[in-house]
Amino acid sequence: MNLLSVRDLLVRFRTHDGSVFAVNGVSFDVDEGETLGLVGESGCGKSVTNLAVMRLLPAPAGKIEGGQVFFQGQDLLGLAESEMRMLRGKELAMIFQDPMTSLNPVLTVEEQMVETIRAHRRVSKKEAKARTIELLGMVGIPQPEKRLRNFPHQFSGGMRQRVMIAMALALEPKLLIADEPTTALDVTIQAQVLELLSRLAAEHGTAVILITHDLGVVAGMTKRINVMYAGFVVETAVTGDLFARPRHPYTVGLLHSMPRLDDEEGQPLIPIEGVPPDLRFAPTGCPFAPRCAWRLDRCWQEMPALSPLEPNATMVTTGPNATHAVACWNQPTAQEVEAAQPLRTGFVPAQPPTGTVL
Amino acid sequence: MTAQPTGIVVVSTSRASRGLWHDALSRLSRNKPALVGLFFIAVFVVGAILAPWITHFDPTMGNLADSKQGPNFVHWMGTDLNGRDEFTRVLYGARVSLTVGVVAVSFGLLGGAFVGALAGGAGGIVDSILMRIVDVLLAVPGILLAIGIVAWLGHGEIQIMLAVGISYAPMFARLLRSSLLALRESDYVMAARSMGASPVRILVRHMLPNALTPLIVQATLFAATAIIDVAGLGFLGLGPGDPRTAEWGEMLTKASDYLQSAPYLIFFPGVAIVVSAIGFNLLGDGLREALDPRLKR
Repeated sequence: MNLLSVRDLLVRFRTHDGSVFAVNGVSFDVDEGETLGLVGESGCGKSVTNLAVMRLLPAPAGKIEGGQVFFQGQDLLGLAESEMRMLRGKELAMIFQDPMTSLNPVLTVEEQMVETIRAHRRVSKKEAKARTIELLGMVGIPQPEKRLRNFPHQFSGGMRQRVMIAMALALEPKLLIADEPTTALDVTIQAQVLELLSRLAAEHGTAVILITHDLGVVAGMTKRINVMYAGFVVETAVTGDLFARPRHPYTVGLLHSMPRLDDEEGQPLIPIEGVPPDLRFAPTGCPFAPRCAWRLDRCWQEMPALSPLEPNATMVTTGPNATHAVACWNQPTAQEVEAAQPLRTGFVPAQPPTGTVL
Repeated sequence: MTAQPTGIVVVSTSRASRGLWHDALSRLSRNKPALVGLFFIAVFVVGAILAPWITHFDPTMGNLADSKQGPNFVHWMGTDLNGRDEFTRVLYGARVSLTVGVVAVSFGLLGGAFVGALAGGAGGIVDSILMRIVDVLLAVPGILLAIGIVAWLGHGEIQIMLAVGISYAPMFARLLRSSLLALRESDYVMAARSMGASPVRILVRHMLPNALTPLIVQATLFAATAIIDVAGLGFLGLGPGDPRTAEWGEMLTKASDYLQSAPYLIFFPGVAIVVSAIGFNLLGDGLREALDPRLKR
């Protein structure tokens, strides 16, 4: 049994301009102790997916309209809010993007951490404080006994993110969701924080979902990657395999739009043309079709299912042998991936059906 | 030879902060206008408390023979129609005006904050109903509302305090609610929720302390307005029940009849109102700066 199983998750936001189709049927699994990367550009539904798992979508606008989220076999979406609250922090924890604003400015670090521990464990203040000192030491904060009484503004950004990590791991959760944990930090600090995060997760056997738009971060940190686009998972593979053989045009585009150290000098970066689709319109067909060089007529009509690269292979959803699966009608070949464009003679991307508003 | 001190002072970069309030207080003590405001208020408070020792005249009883004297060495601010010492009445008037002003604002603050916290904390239908009631109260001009309440409850200091307090409460309620709404979406409230904190704990421990700053500042600024409003009620003849009571607004009303023959009777209570109002305003502005951590040096 997997630690976390998300099945056909549908999330919509009600706005004054109508519904926003944020997550459109996402399914994935996370095994105990596994590190899964969730990659995609801003607004593709990475964060919303995970907020839905935590049941922390902004109310009343954000609504889970379908699907299931099983955590240790229990459907989280069926739990009462009070039951869900008992799981948050204890079994599932979260680290947010901006450490500068994720800590309460009027409470000391000690107060915030002791409070978190005591919300879930029947321990005395003294015990909770001792545990806090231990945790702060563990995340590499010097002189934790002294820093304990400091306010968040007396810590640097990197140190604050370390405090957040300490707080998230205080109750040894089974699953840690890290939502762009290093985006707000300096590059050198990013590496330290990521290293800390992966080391602690490995030591405690915590499964991690790492949300990021930085392919460099996922490459080093994760075992497996889901690439998301416009509320769909478009490609999933073991990390090495995804970088070696990307098979979705969007993944191909992402990889080519990023500079690499082993690129030959003078090689151009190839951006992905166009903009992500307006999520206020219900998706018809593949959401990437308008920006895709490989699109067929069919791509405008029908969203392909996420299916294994090798036909007839059985889907393995977790672990090092997870199946490489792609949601694409017209997968690029290895040579085309290299060239970042279709190489078939006479191939022209299909015109949008008449009446389509782009 | 003994080792010479190197003269290098190691300045700790993480200056031990003794708390948000302590930091704010030390910032306030470096703010000159705020200190001036505090001084103005202190003068009136000390004058009000020590009035019986500062002056030996009776604020309510006068000698008709001394009626309408201009300022002189015996009566520094002159005397009113009934021969009562104006300086004494201004001092004793501070007791009524300042007390009524501060207590009225406290009523408004407590009532408004309670409603605002309930609305902002609970949200949904509770929020909608409470805020519509607040909207109705806000639609009526504050002083008019206060006049109506005094007319309804009758004369008296308690009634004035309640009336002015109730007329301010909707503003406090709105202010706190909007701060809470903004905080509800803040990262640290989200983080607290993600750690499994209960809604009550989030409201009381995470949101309220962060939302109090604008409320405290507004209360100080309203204290200035309240003194003027209380004086205004007094001016309209809705002052304290006992007509002999020294109260700045009521003193102005009476004096307005003798504007030409005894203009100093308007001048001194008027100055007292203006100076105390300026005092509270300066203090309020200073508090706003002191309590805003973004303005930290």
